[in-house]
Amino acid sequence: MSTTRRYTSQRLTFVILVLLSVTAITLDYKGEASHTISSIRSAARDAISPIQRVLADALHPLGDFFAGAVNYGAAVRENQQLRGELGALRREVLQNQNAEHELQAILNEQHLPYVQNIPTLLAEIISGPSSNFQDTFEIDRGASSGVGVGMPVVAGAGLVGTVVSSGTSTSVVEAITNPGSSFGVTFGSPPSVALADGRGSGYPLSLADVTSQMPVRVGEQVYSSGIAGAALPAGLPVGTVSAVHYQGGSLTKTVLVKPVADLSGLSYVTVLQWLQTP
Amino acid sequence: MTAVAWSRVAVVVMVTVVLQEAVLNGVVIGGAHPDAFVALAVAAGLTSGPQRGAVIAFGIGLVADLFVLTPFGLSALVYVIVAFGAGATASLGSGRAPYGFSMVVALAAGIAATLLFELIETLIDQPQLPSAELAAVAAVVGVANLVLIVPAKAALARAVRSRPARELAGVSGGSALR
Repeated sequence: MSTTRRYTSQRLTFVILVLLSVTAITLDYKGEASHTISSIRSAARDAISPIQRVLADALHPLGDFFAGAVNYGAAVRENQQLRGELGALRREVLQNQNAEHELQAILNEQHLPYVQNIPTLLAEIISGPSSNFQDTFEIDRGASSGVGVGMPVVAGAGLVGTVVSSGTSTSVVEAITNPGSSFGVTFGSPPSVALADGRGSGYPLSLADVTSQMPVRVGEQVYSSGIAGAALPAGLPVGTVSAVHYQGGSLTKTVLVKPVADLSGLSYVTVLQWLQTP
Repeated sequence: MTAVAWSRVAVVVMVTVVLQEAVLNGVVIGGAHPDAFVALAVAAGLTSGPQRGAVIAFGIGLVADLFVLTPFGLSALVYVIVAFGAGATASLGSGRAPYGFSMVVALAAGIAATLLFELIETLIDQPQLPSAELAAVAAVVGVANLVLIVPAKAALARAVRSRPARELAGVSGGSALR
């Protein structure tokens, strides 16, 4: 009898917890509570960010040690030139054992010709993706530094992602490869416009709406379109066409684009303080 | 379970948050990283039984949901199911579950949690991972659970304990922990 009661109690508790979870998902998904949840999430990230920064600084040298071991000679030569340019900007960083690598990473973010006159903000990546199901990362700049939701994030060669959540001192960036990420791009001459969709970390982007009439070749450069109302400014390098598949009779082509920026080994990125025009 | 025990569980969850966000998120293998929250949810089921384990896992899930951008409550739902399943499996045997058994449950639960997460995301029309990446995530989370379950179970067992250790020493099985 007591065993039966125990099992009933267990099942009742389980059902209640499942219903509570489903209710939370529904409230967030339908948008009723999403603003409140977003605020709580930002506060939680801000609370933990000091610890993340300390540990990120402590753990970077481990990765840099292996990278530096491979290209040590070249890094030393480059560093001699770069030290003069950078001056006091990152003198503290130079005192670290991993200064050579970090210095290069920062300088890469200082010369971004495609940025034009958009104000920029250098940021350090303090955490990788929190979920295995989303390709995101966290940076050490937030609303207090002028970072807002929707701002593009670039690194060296081109576009990396966009800010999707901004706390006081940290922000979360959704990588362009994140499944569900979608933005307008342009390619070819005459320029054609399509949508680039993320397919997961390490996978090329997929271009949607490429009709069979659109000329596109492997190796062609792809840029953000920046057409009216676009979520990104025009002309940001996105990637290079890596494959074009077309089945005779089909109305569209399958086009894959390899991101121009190496999303796997980033330590610093640049936030473009540009917001979509309403 | 006493208020003190609940507060100890909260401390264990907070330590897990720091470990996950500051360390494990950066340990990327094949595009995936270990998930200490899943291990903790499994440990909750193993140490506290299906009922209390599911309640603890619900709390762990809500905390984990604060640090991801997936719909709020999704991790909580997955962890409740995983903890309940782990607790029910452990309660099938008699006495305290040995670590070998716990590790097998943790491996299976890690894989199951990953697949369950993807299944629920599909049901609520969220973007899906490519099959190869999903397999990598399941493998990494499952294998990492083999290691993480040991400290997770030890920490939670101490946290939920409501009597001094010397009293527990004379108690057979895991009933004192439930």
